[in-house]
Amino acid sequence: MEAVPPPQPLIDIDSHGFWNALADGRFAMQRCSTCRLFQHPPAERCNACGSTVAYEELSGGGEIFSFIVVRHPTVPGYLDDLPYVVALVELDDQPGLRIPTRLAGAEPTDVSIGQRVQIALVDLAGGNHTVAVFELAE
Amino acid sequence: MNATTMDDIAVVGIGRTEFTRGSGRTTLGMAAEACRSAIADAGLTPADIDGIANFQAGDSHPGLAVARAIGVDQLSLCLDISGGGNQACAVVANAAAAVRTGQANTVVVYRSMNGRSGKRFGVATDNGSSPLAVGGEGQFNAPQGYMTPPQWMAMWTKRHQHVYGSTCEDLGQIAITQRRHAHDNPHAIKRELVDMDGYLNTRWVHEPLRLLDCTMEVDGAAAIVITSLDRARDLPQPPVVIHAGSESHGQGGSWDQWEDPTVMYSHYAAPLLWQRAGFGPTDIDFACIYDCFTYTVMAVMEDFGFCDKGEVGDFFSEGRATHGGDVVINPHGGLLSEGYIHGMNHHYEAVHQLRHHAGNRQVEGAETALVTAGAGPYGGALVYTVDA
Repeated sequence: MEAVPPPQPLIDIDSHGFWNALADGRFAMQRCSTCRLFQHPPAERCNACGSTVAYEELSGGGEIFSFIVVRHPTVPGYLDDLPYVVALVELDDQPGLRIPTRLAGAEPTDVSIGQRVQIALVDLAGGNHTVAVFELAE
Repeated sequence: MNATTMDDIAVVGIGRTEFTRGSGRTTLGMAAEACRSAIADAGLTPADIDGIANFQAGDSHPGLAVARAIGVDQLSLCLDISGGGNQACAVVANAAAAVRTGQANTVVVYRSMNGRSGKRFGVATDNGSSPLAVGGEGQFNAPQGYMTPPQWMAMWTKRHQHVYGSTCEDLGQIAITQRRHAHDNPHAIKRELVDMDGYLNTRWVHEPLRLLDCTMEVDGAAAIVITSLDRARDLPQPPVVIHAGSESHGQGGSWDQWEDPTVMYSHYAAPLLWQRAGFGPTDIDFACIYDCFTYTVMAVMEDFGFCDKGEVGDFFSEGRATHGGDVVINPHGGLLSEGYIHGMNHHYEAVHQLRHHAGNRQVEGAETALVTAGAGPYGGALVYTVDA
C-alpha cells in the first residue's frame, strides 16, 4: 500500500502554544490566570470565567478512562498499523481533563480501563509536528 | 394550549425517496422529490408552501434551491440549520415555532443526502488537502488516528461496559430486534433476519463496536409538511400533533471532555421533555430512537427512563421493545436497518404509524410516539400524538 501521511494539525492562533510546546518537548495545556482551571481544546479566553490563559506544562501522567481497538481502516497514515489502541486518558492535573491518544507499544489485550499511563513524545510523519502519545506506565 | 407544548401545530404530509447505496442523483433532485411527495400527501400544492427548513453538514442543497426546484418562488421562512442528526428534531421544532408565531403558515421540512455515495460520516473526511489537514478540535485527535464518529462512539460504549457491565450481546439484541422490524418494511435497505451468532460473527469496526452496531449509510431524502392544527383538520390526512419537544446541546460538542459517557444529551433533555409533555415513558406506544449506533439506543433509552442502567439488553431480549411489549423501538428498523437519512426518516415513520397506515408493521393502537435526534453531547426529542 502506498505510504500516505497521517492527518496533520491545521493550527490556529489559539492552538499555536499547544503545538509549539510539543515541538519544544513539553506537553502543555492552557490554564486560566484567575480561576486556575486547565482547558482543552484551547480558546482565546478561559471558558469558565473569561480571564486570560497561558500554556502551562502538565505532569504527563494519567489514567485510562476508556479505550478502543481500531480495526477498520479509517484514518490515512494508519491503514497499515491495524489494529491499534486509542485511549481516552484522564490527566492527573485536573479531574475530567482528558485527551484521546494512541497507546504506543500496547497490545490490545494488555489494556484495561484504570491503568496508569505516562506521556511519550513522538514525531508525526509527513510534516514537522510533534505529538503526545501515551504508554502504559511501568 | 399549554405554554410548554406545541399542541396547535401538526404534521399533515410525509414524503421520501427510495433509499439506495448509490442514487446517481443530486441532493437537490432527491430533496425536491421528497418535498413534492410530502406536499401532495398533505393534499396541498407548492403554492400553499411559504416556508422551508432543513439541516445539513455542508453536504446538501440549501432550502432556497429546493424551494425553486419545487416551484415555490417566494418564502417567508427559509431556515438552513447547520449540523447532523443532532438537529433532526430541532429543525421540526423550529419550523413548528415559526408556524405558531406566524412567520409562516405551512412549512416543508426535509433532509437530503448522498450519505453513502457522497459524503460519508463514518469515513475520514477528505477536504482536498494532501496530507489531510484537520482543524478545530479534530486537530488534536486526527493525527492520533482518531477522527470518526464510530471511533468516538466505541470509546463511549467501552466506558458504559466498564461502569455498568453492559455487553456486546446487549448491543446485539438491539440490532437483532430492529432488523426483525425492518424485515416487515419494504422501504428498508437491510431486511434479512439476523441472530446473535450472525451479529457476533460480523467483523469489528472499532472494538467494542461491530459492523451491525453501525448505521446503514444510504442515499435518499425524507420530508414532512407542518401547519397549524386548525388548517390540518381541513386536510385529507389525519393530523399528527407535535405535542412537545426539548433539546440539549452541551460541553461545546466535545466527545472527549463530556463528563460521563454512560449518559448522553438525553440525560438533560429527557426530564425537560417529560415535564413539558405532561407524561412519561410508560405513556409512549412506540419510539423512533436515533440509532446511528446501537449504543446510542442503549444510552438514550436509559436516559429517557424506559429501563434502568445496564438493563437495555434484557429489555430487548425479553421482547419488551417490540410488538406486544412495553414500547416498540424503531418499528421501521431504524437508521440501523431502514437507512441513515440522519433521523428525518424517524419523523416519517412516526407520522405513518400514528395515522395507522403502517400495514403489517403497524404498532397496534398507537397514539403517542417519541422521536429522538442526535447522540453523545447533542440532540433533542419530540413527542407526537394523534389529534385528540
